[in-house]
Amino acid sequence: MGNSANKPELIIDGRRLDGRTPEQLRQIKITANPIRNAAGSAFIEWGNNKILAAVYGPREALPKHTQDPNRAVIKCRYTMAPFSSLEEHGRPGMNRRAIEISKVTREVFENVILTDLFPGNEISIFIEVLQSDGGTRAAGITCASVALAASGIPMRDMPFAVSVGKASDTLIIDMNKIEDNYSNADMPVAINPRTKEINLLQMDGELTPEEVHRGLEMIQKAGETITKIQREALKAPYEKVNEKYKASI
Amino acid sequence: MKKIVLPGDIIADKPLRLDHTIVEEGKTCSTVIGMFDEAAGSLIPLEGLWYPQPGEKIVGIVEEAKLNTDVITLNAPYKGLIISKFSETSMVNGDIIEATVKELDKTGTIILVRPRVLYGGKVLAIKPSKVPRLLGKNDTMIRQITDGTKASISVGMNGLVWVKGGNSDLATDAIIRIQEESHVSGLTERIAKMVGSTGQPHQPQPQQQG
Repeated sequence: MGNSANKPELIIDGRRLDGRTPEQLRQIKITANPIRNAAGSAFIEWGNNKILAAVYGPREALPKHTQDPNRAVIKCRYTMAPFSSLEEHGRPGMNRRAIEISKVTREVFENVILTDLFPGNEISIFIEVLQSDGGTRAAGITCASVALAASGIPMRDMPFAVSVGKASDTLIIDMNKIEDNYSNADMPVAINPRTKEINLLQMDGELTPEEVHRGLEMIQKAGETITKIQREALKAPYEKVNEKYKASI
Repeated sequence: MKKIVLPGDIIADKPLRLDHTIVEEGKTCSTVIGMFDEAAGSLIPLEGLWYPQPGEKIVGIVEEAKLNTDVITLNAPYKGLIISKFSETSMVNGDIIEATVKELDKTGTIILVRPRVLYGGKVLAIKPSKVPRLLGKNDTMIRQITDGTKASISVGMNGLVWVKGGNSDLATDAIIRIQEESHVSGLTERIAKMVGSTGQPHQPQPQQQG
């Protein structure tokens, strides 16, 4: 959170600092399978965020005491590269914040992956933030979801995540770094698009119950766009091959 | 009409008994990225893992040859195990073998039987979900490649393929092409053109009376 003394005006004439309306998402672009060695991977460019996600497994869970004889265990590691942000991020690797985000991301996918098919195995999800501009945990979950689908690991649904916040008494979706620092509230949510189940809901700041409901509605609406981009990214490699032979079929 | 489905897509409004699907609230949903054929009622995964079934043939690499058991790497979330006292084949670390799945035990280990060592050649790793396409109906596709290139090929259901002899480079190219284009119709004809074989069993030539 930034200092409230030098707080900038976040919304002027109904437009935000980067020219978006309150309900407008940033530009999102997803590429499926950029990493050859992984079982599945994805690269997302969400505004100025650049995030790489890779999935390995199912493979034998090591060390052995982490194995569960009834289901696969999911291991998730979210890290920010030392050069990812405008501020210093110090030493690379896990800090208190990264451990928290790894935990909530793991819990999102534990609800989605059919883990009981692979007893004794582990599924590793790596999320590496190369460039950050606010909302990286939501972008990371959206990206990892594509990576998991690309790997062929059976899932009940393909979750997406996005955050909603409040600035100058207006609800705004998909906040960037400056909005995140100076806003009154921030609420990242991960949702299964088919069942509308909520897999992640965190909140920082203050929102009234009505605002939370309205925020969730905004997220559902934005989710339709995000899900569409996720689906296009997964279908693209197959449709490219289809295009090649369209004339001959 | 074939279409690409993704995890969570509803493919039918009634419960269907189909692989790679789950039934929730009376509706059938896909759990993988795959091609769904509504008319035939089949869901073929485009990406996926190998689920071992007894009787399937595999190709593996000997990781650890011991006195009583041999541990086999299968490029899968399962380890293969050959109990040496039931087989007379002797093998050393690094050998490529072909064997049959007997059973998958509760600890995620596959018991293999009838091993055969494959000498020389090379091993390709392809996606296990593409192996049925590589074999083709009644093995027609793989027969096309072996006929056209005169290479010896052994296909394991775990996704490892052993190739030796003949025009093995052309065979390798054909196998990789099948992996990339498995979801596009007309593949059999394209591969036939590539390797120069129809894949039909050879008709015996009538002997000339002389």
